[in-house]
Amino acid sequence: MQTEIRHRPAFANIRVQLERGDSLIAESDAMASMSSTVAMRARWAGGFFNALIRRVFGQESMFVNEFSTDSEGEVILTQPFPGDMECIELNGNTVFLQPGAFVACEPGVKLTAGWAGFGSYIGKEGLFRLKASGTGKLWFGAYGGIFTREITGELVVDTGHLVAYEPTLKIHMGMAGGIFSSFFGGEGLVSKIRGEGRVYLQSRSMGGLAAWTNAHLH
Amino acid sequence: MRTEILCRPAASVARITLDEGESITCEVGAMIAMSTSLGVETASRKRGGGGGVLKGLKRMFAGESFFLNHFTAKTNNQSLIIGPSLLGDIVSHKLTGGNLVVQGSSWLASGSDVEIDATWQGFGKAIFSGETMFWVKCSGTGDVLLSSFGAIYEVQVDGAYTVDTGHIVAFEDTLGFSIGKSAGSWLGSFLGGEGLVCKFKGRGKLYCQSHNPPSFGKLLGPLLKAR
Repeated sequence: MQTEIRHRPAFANIRVQLERGDSLIAESDAMASMSSTVAMRARWAGGFFNALIRRVFGQESMFVNEFSTDSEGEVILTQPFPGDMECIELNGNTVFLQPGAFVACEPGVKLTAGWAGFGSYIGKEGLFRLKASGTGKLWFGAYGGIFTREITGELVVDTGHLVAYEPTLKIHMGMAGGIFSSFFGGEGLVSKIRGEGRVYLQSRSMGGLAAWTNAHLH
Repeated sequence: MRTEILCRPAASVARITLDEGESITCEVGAMIAMSTSLGVETASRKRGGGGGVLKGLKRMFAGESFFLNHFTAKTNNQSLIIGPSLLGDIVSHKLTGGNLVVQGSSWLASGSDVEIDATWQGFGKAIFSGETMFWVKCSGTGDVLLSSFGAIYEVQVDGAYTVDTGHIVAFEDTLGFSIGKSAGSWLGSFLGGEGLVCKFKGRGKLYCQSHNPPSFGKLLGPLLKAR
């Protein structure tokens, strides 16, 4: 299997060349186009219970699609918003993805829905998050560009900019400054990410776009 | 006429250089900047050709404007910069005889020897393809400029190829498509979230867009205030 992320960073999409015996799991509705030799099959997203949690709390589909072929062929996978994508290789380690970030993974990657905690919920980062573990490549995407930070201690992140993080990190809700600057400085609530590990952030947020658009509607 | 695409793929524009007497037909509102020795003419028909009101009306159904703008160079080396209003890519397709069928809103401009007309693809495709009801059919010889939301990629189809609804930009009419289920079964197609897809058959060039405006709209819509 050969993969390539194209048209970065504005309109990242993945071109996958599948050979016989390869298979790939992708988010529901991620397929933009594919060869007719590629077969697509819907599966539960990590078992029924996980799929249900994903649907109810993560506002995501209960299903993912599995792509495979008897000969060879290509699949183009995309995400609904313009932005960049990242590919990481899991080797027994785990990474948490925010709702909407997951794009695709190799079959060795296990996807489960996990409790993110009330801190995450109040900070508007969602009550659940997707836990990706196992071995294999994992692709996730963002609205805007993706940048990483290695945290040792604490990092303050504005709401809606979190994409993925390592399990050694915990999310707490907090205020950017004092009461005054938190509510009048436009930053409001922020997430305080504590621990040691890597965090993936997106350079824009859908909430930011919506706020800007709302201000211009008549 | 020389065409150069700049700022790909996020915010593409096309720079077109025209020599004396050469002209190009553009979508209304596409002009961003132009040299001073270019004549502009707005009409509902092809420059010097037939069509008129009826073709203008048909184009409106295809998601384009009733009017077209014709730019003609009065002296050599006149340049014109055009672009679509949304973020996205532009590609140039060279027509040498055959026909190119373009998704309604993706037609941006074409050379003066290219005939443009709206075409009806049938009820099934109009309703289920996720594209506009009418398509723009380009024939003749010359360049056709296509725009999209997202990056445009080219697929050389030989046999069969599947495109998700809402991702078609244009295709040569040596290709035809039908609406079908995306997975092996109807249940799987809808559970997997892909639903219906466009299944192309034949041999020819196909242009797809990497992103789908309605999917983005579905995410942004619920965040907006009701009017």
